[in-house]
Amino acid sequence: MKRSVPLAIVMVGGILMIIQYFIPHQYSQAVFDTYTEWGPIVAVFALVLGIGSLIRVHSHKIRRRAKNWQYSYAVLIPLFAMPIFGLILPTAVAGGTDSPSVFDFLFMNVQVPIQATMFSLLAFYIASAAFRAFRAKSALATVLLIAAVIVMLGQVPIGELLGSWFPKIGQWILRYPNAAAKRAIALGVGFGILATQLKIIFGVERNWLGGAGE
Amino acid sequence: MLNTDRRWLFLIIGVVCIIPFLIRIGMPVFPTQEVESIYDYMDQLGPDNAIFIAFDFDPGTSAENMPMAVAVMRHAFARDVPVFMTAVTPLGQGMIMAGVDYVTDPSQDYFYQRVEWDEWASIREQGTTDKAGIVEAWEAQGHQLSDNALGWVFEGRDYAILGYQPLFYLVILGMGNSIATQYPNDANGNPVTEMPMLREHKNLREIDLAVTSSGSAACTYWITYGREKVGLPVAFAVTAVMATDYFIYIQSGQVIGQMGGLRGAAEYEVMLEQTGEYPTTDKAFQGMDVQSVAHVAIFLFVLVGNIAFFAGGFHKKGSRLKGGR
Amino acid sequence: MRKHQVAFPALVLLIFSVPVLAQTGAPPAPAAVTEESGQEEMPAPEYEPPGGIVVVDHPNDAGDQLDVSFESARPEDLVMIQQVFRRPAGKLDLSGPDGQGVGEDSWQAVYSVAAGEATFFVDGQDPDYPIEPGSSYEYMVTALFMDGTEVSSDVYAMDFSSVGEIFHTGKVRVLIACAIFLILIFYYFQKAQSGVEMYLRPIGGIEAIDEAIGRATEMGKPILYVPGLSTIADVATIASLTILGRVAKKVAEYQTPLLVPNRDPIVYTVADETVKQGYLEAGRPDAYDPDSVFFLTDSQFAFVAGVNGIMMRDKPATNFYLGMFWAESLILAETGSLSGAIQIAGTDATVQLPFFITTCDYTLIGEELYAASAYLGREPKQLGAVKGQDAMKAVVMTFITAGFVAGMIDIVAGTHILGWLRDLVTMPIVD
Repeated sequence: MKRSVPLAIVMVGGILMIIQYFIPHQYSQAVFDTYTEWGPIVAVFALVLGIGSLIRVHSHKIRRRAKNWQYSYAVLIPLFAMPIFGLILPTAVAGGTDSPSVFDFLFMNVQVPIQATMFSLLAFYIASAAFRAFRAKSALATVLLIAAVIVMLGQVPIGELLGSWFPKIGQWILRYPNAAAKRAIALGVGFGILATQLKIIFGVERNWLGGAGE
Repeated sequence: MLNTDRRWLFLIIGVVCIIPFLIRIGMPVFPTQEVESIYDYMDQLGPDNAIFIAFDFDPGTSAENMPMAVAVMRHAFARDVPVFMTAVTPLGQGMIMAGVDYVTDPSQDYFYQRVEWDEWASIREQGTTDKAGIVEAWEAQGHQLSDNALGWVFEGRDYAILGYQPLFYLVILGMGNSIATQYPNDANGNPVTEMPMLREHKNLREIDLAVTSSGSAACTYWITYGREKVGLPVAFAVTAVMATDYFIYIQSGQVIGQMGGLRGAAEYEVMLEQTGEYPTTDKAFQGMDVQSVAHVAIFLFVLVGNIAFFAGGFHKKGSRLKGGR
Repeated sequence: MRKHQVAFPALVLLIFSVPVLAQTGAPPAPAAVTEESGQEEMPAPEYEPPGGIVVVDHPNDAGDQLDVSFESARPEDLVMIQQVFRRPAGKLDLSGPDGQGVGEDSWQAVYSVAAGEATFFVDGQDPDYPIEPGSSYEYMVTALFMDGTEVSSDVYAMDFSSVGEIFHTGKVRVLIACAIFLILIFYYFQKAQSGVEMYLRPIGGIEAIDEAIGRATEMGKPILYVPGLSTIADVATIASLTILGRVAKKVAEYQTPLLVPNRDPIVYTVADETVKQGYLEAGRPDAYDPDSVFFLTDSQFAFVAGVNGIMMRDKPATNFYLGMFWAESLILAETGSLSGAIQIAGTDATVQLPFFITTCDYTLIGEELYAASAYLGREPKQLGAVKGQDAMKAVVMTFITAGFVAGMIDIVAGTHILGWLRDLVTMPIVD
């Protein structure tokens, strides 16, 4: 039952939606509309599950005094504080989500810089990866390296100052060899996704239920 | 040399990125065909058209995506093209607010003076809905444009912040039939059905362009559910890393053009300045100096790394490292 | 004078007077003189109302669209705007004067055509004026001229109801392609189940999994397995969890510690079950450590920071990055490289592949990740699905090659084969 009901739902729902795609009739459209109305509702339940799981895991950590339990407060306090600031606190007392408000201040001055900072780590890691890993170990690797340098320098103004051919060749590499390779990978990935989803619909692939194989 | 502590590399990159901010070089940026396509398309639009700008990015990629979205927004405001703004994530809604605040910030050298929905309610009640009539009525009420303001932008006439809705691909699908059913109210709680720009453009069939400024694959939702369903023209404004992936969409004609990363935003800013739609370039153009120097630094790292690799004899077999390569 | 001497000049005079008389035309109407101005007023031009209204059912819809066309009012250059009115059928009562219709007037202006625009539109696309499937309507077009004159067409009553189609003919190509794909998949399912040996080319990353697990066991260090940062709805996550099951079974046999941090709570519960099942299948349920699979955080970069911390502190010997990754991929892989681990990555996010390829020992590119489950388990249906995918790719490659050849022929011979081929496979904008 624990396995057969979800499998049946997936199979019936999947086949139904495949057939629905080809039928424009109003009854078919009504089925589609119902599914699209249910979709956000089910998605919101997943959000509830996620938040519940987060609270459970971190409160468990605090109770057990597990390793680095103090940081769990850093997760739980903002989790409750932000909705309180944004939705419950009156605007007269710096509540609400519009500027000026505590919520907006925390978002613009804490969340945004933190995320931007973490993303900016990539610049440093790219430099370290470039130094360590971009090696002309073989003929193909050398071609890759040369292409990378041309595209990299062609993308910035200094490349145009070094030589007008830099950006032209760089653009040519992006538009033709790169697009051809990306198109091939995209086609392969597309068919892979189709096949995997067909396997899920027809019950061949069941790992999403939890547990491997049968 | 190969065992150089990574922290030296990090320090060099840090210094290299900071110096161009202090010493402005101003290297020229030449537009590419992909960005020009978007610009030329936008240039033919006017007050009778409307566009979507989708802020499909989070704060992490805002350094690249925000300048692109801001440049297109300024272009639209300069041509009186109404702009609907949406977001694929809740954080993206914050990005919309930040973008609109930036374009309408009086402390900028040049800005658009914003008039919020409630402020011009009396003009709406008189039945005036065209831009020229609204501006005339507004100024007749005694409001004056600031010296460095480029024009008025009225919420509901020139822009509407629709915001975030969950499962955004379903929202795009729904907007193909009716925008108002997906967004009965905008992000500020204003009734969308009363907005003049929505009365003139009720669904995606009546929208002339969707520019998706995206840091994730959400940009493809606009193709699948917008372009392929109702023929909505789509333009991409994606991070540089993602830009290489989407040349295939340009070649197949599914998108009209693409801005890639900070370079794309810089090209758009240069075109805005050259055509007089906006008096100056902005952060993206300034950032190109930093990017130029950083790219040269990385090129030198690659060169030095290879020289050290070959000089140390590591290219010979038997010297291959196992793990931690 | 003789007769011919008079007749000839008269004839010449007559011939040359004809154009003069023709230009004068009919004698002018007596000019109307208004009482107020005392000035002459030119007669109003004759206006022809719009007509020729034709309504047909829009094809391939849900019965909620109609194609409406009409002939413009004349003179067209004096027309300012033409409005199309619609009301439900049955409101027309022809018993009124001149049979023009009286009764309940519920006309709605559903469309406006400005001067010079096409006099054709698809009704029902405006959400304010929807069309009910199975309904009939009446249409009337009113033209407003520059001088303020308004003329209306006759009322056109539909003699049919709008109908929703059972099959969307515009999607035939998609149906054919789906059918070909399904046939190929099921054919290879059947072939694999009948015991036919199916060849899968060796994939370095998958073959290295055993070696990597062995290395960790020898070094006595844990294995770190990151199943991606996406949700269970992502195909890459499902493929990753399939591989996790195999890895868990191997790890249970070798008694190597396993760490599986998760970003999504649902993926966490599925991964937990998967690892438990792996230990069960290896006959070592007692060895399963429930703390080995854990939920870290749902924030992207916070998750990466947490995993980096695990890598630097626990120093795993082997890192698996299999699933969907975004911008954090380089941070993960570079830190793992710093810790000295063997790294095997696999993702269908082509944007992140370059980062994994440069920093990891082995990378599964795109669909190699999906094929991994077939490769490891060798189950007939999984193998059949992989072969079916490959067969479909062969079909596509054939079309691409044909297109390339057709393009070359078109250039040389001036034909249009490529255009014909493109029309054959391209689906038009539907809906």
